[in-house]
Amino acid sequence: MHNCVALSIVSQRQTVTKRDGENRRLELVAYQLCSTTERVGRFVLRDKKMTNNNLNKLLVFCVLFCAQKTSIVHGAQALETKVALLLHAEPENPKCFAEGMSDLTCFWEEDEERAGSADQYSFIYTYQNENSSECSVTALPAAGGKRLYFCRLSQTQLFVPLDIRVFRDELLIHNRSLFIELVFLLDPPANLTLTSTGTQGQLKASWLPPSLKYMGDSMMYEVSYTMAGSHIGKVEEVQASSELILRGLQSGTKYKVRIRVKLDGISYSGYWSTWTDPVLMETMPGDLDPLIVSLSLIISLVLTLLSLLVLMSHRRFLLKKIWPIIPTPESKFQGLFKVYGGDFQEWLGHSTGGLWLRPAYFYSEEFPAPLEVLSEVSLGPALPSSALPPKASEALGEEDEDEKLKRVDSALMEGWRETPQEHWPMDQLRAIHQHPAPWTQSSLLESHDAYVTLNAQNHSGEEPLDDILEETLPLQVLFASGRTSSESRSDLGSFQQSSGLGRLSSQSSFEYPNHTWPPKGPGYTYMAVADSGVSMDYSPMSSSKIDDIGKGVIYTNEYKNEIPAHRRPIGTPIHFAF
Amino acid sequence: MFHNSSRGLFTLLLMLLEWTRPGLPSPLRPICDLRVLKHFIEEARDAQAAMLTCKEGCGLPEPVTVPQTKVDFSIWERKNALEQAQEVQSGLWLLNQAIGSLRASVTNTALQSHIDNSLINIFRIGKVLRSLNIQECNPPAGGVSGGEETWRVSSASELLQVHVNFLRGKLQLLLSNAPICH
Repeated sequence: MHNCVALSIVSQRQTVTKRDGENRRLELVAYQLCSTTERVGRFVLRDKKMTNNNLNKLLVFCVLFCAQKTSIVHGAQALETKVALLLHAEPENPKCFAEGMSDLTCFWEEDEERAGSADQYSFIYTYQNENSSECSVTALPAAGGKRLYFCRLSQTQLFVPLDIRVFRDELLIHNRSLFIELVFLLDPPANLTLTSTGTQGQLKASWLPPSLKYMGDSMMYEVSYTMAGSHIGKVEEVQASSELILRGLQSGTKYKVRIRVKLDGISYSGYWSTWTDPVLMETMPGDLDPLIVSLSLIISLVLTLLSLLVLMSHRRFLLKKIWPIIPTPESKFQGLFKVYGGDFQEWLGHSTGGLWLRPAYFYSEEFPAPLEVLSEVSLGPALPSSALPPKASEALGEEDEDEKLKRVDSALMEGWRETPQEHWPMDQLRAIHQHPAPWTQSSLLESHDAYVTLNAQNHSGEEPLDDILEETLPLQVLFASGRTSSESRSDLGSFQQSSGLGRLSSQSSFEYPNHTWPPKGPGYTYMAVADSGVSMDYSPMSSSKIDDIGKGVIYTNEYKNEIPAHRRPIGTPIHFAF
Repeated sequence: MFHNSSRGLFTLLLMLLEWTRPGLPSPLRPICDLRVLKHFIEEARDAQAAMLTCKEGCGLPEPVTVPQTKVDFSIWERKNALEQAQEVQSGLWLLNQAIGSLRASVTNTALQSHIDNSLINIFRIGKVLRSLNIQECNPPAGGVSGGEETWRVSSASELLQVHVNFLRGKLQLLLSNAPICH
């Protein structure tokens, strides 16, 4: 039934032309047939006496009619889309478009409330240098509470101005002047097909141009192609052609292609047609481009070679980091491990003259020299004369911290205590702070290190000194000798050597409990010593004499080391150099 | 005797005419590319646009006859090639005359160059038509009387618009359907 309705809508397009009568008749016949077929169908079923001949004729007729019906329905749908398109594209009223070589359809829109019947409107058109004519208006309902008024001309003149005036009850409502050949709105191209060109990343689109005489060369097409599923697409324009090769596409991808047409605007012009229904096609699957493969291989090879070169040039550094060498003292003790298997005594015995052959060893800074270590530490509190805990003496050889000396001082000062070693330096410092050193004669004495003095005097009448220069530290020796000292003395005691040395004499600061350090002779040279167990840090030497303070002359080369070989503490880790 | 001398004179005359006979134009290659026409149409449009901006010194002294530009396809298709060619050629001739008279009266220099261009283009169109073997028509003696295919315009802008419409319409139809190009 709905088909019949559509037919009735289309049939309302009336024109005041010579063919009008024909059109009316055709439409009337169609309408009658529409209702008749239903009746006939029923009739056929009922009347069994119907001959075959008549049945065949009826069948053919029905088929033809159905075909016409479908085309009419399609036409109605196309009209709807065109109307919608023009309502957006054309601002002027009435909106007119030409579909073929000799037709023109004009329409305008009005609100349902203000709309009148079709009879109230009159459509007057005038070609240049001609008399006016009138076109009959038809009305159709539209969506959104609107009404559309149509007028269709079936015989037109092109390339000449056309004046259109629309009246409603003698009142001019629309006025427009146009060229019919400039308002073409064509149907979209038909039969859009996609084929593969045989080349990767390409597709060929072909279509059937609208069948309009004289206008084939003036047609312009727009092909839009997007990847299936994507919204971003590309557009290509082509003129007066019926195929186009799309290039630069991705391999193995599905593409959606559609097309629309428009006249180029030189002789003829118009609006873009609607898009065709999209057509999908997949491009050829991609092969690995041999050039890209070979280039990437070469680049990777070059990079590998470069990395290998870098690794090889830095292999020693890398090996050190990954597989560090365990240090051995073999280089210092030649032959100790290889020849004597680590037996130090043997090695010593066999290499007594070796030292002479080692000038580097001879002239190194780390020379053994007997020294008297003086400490600035206050002698106020009574110092126990107990022996140093063995721990402290061992610690001297083992510890390698800078606080070691302070710790030793505290051990001597406070004697043996059951305090842990960690508190000794703090306690010592506290003690020192409480009893600030009175030796302000030189800046050197402001620190709390032990002080070593060297006195170029010949001592006489001193107690004989045992051979104390063993492998042990001079400090240890001092500690040992300090055991015999009095209470008022620190355990350090004094260490005086006169025999065998001759030139050197040293005094400990602990001999003077009242901090009266008498400057002797030309003056004492002070040097702060910090023992770290491996090496000794020496602060610059300065003289106790006030006169010498300003001079700043330190006689570093005056003292020669003449320690006899057997007394020299060979192998001690701590040496004093002058 | 007189007969003999007249015959000799006649022969001499013929010989002389043979020498002085104007050379036949060499056959032109057919110009089927419609971009040529597109170029002419665009220049005509430029002239029309320039005329719209002209306020002084750009008027026609008197009304001129111009061809009709309207094309009814049903009627056009009924005409044969010769009729179509004749219609186009006579129209071009009329336009040539009309624009020539406009050129004489226009004083605006910018417009003058446009009008000169239009005249040159009409001449070139004639050459294009000749290349397509479309015959030139000879206007009837005493000018064109008018007829169905002409009308009169009195303003320069109207004249140039007619010029554009004629090129776009009848001339384009004739060129696009020239049998030598298909």
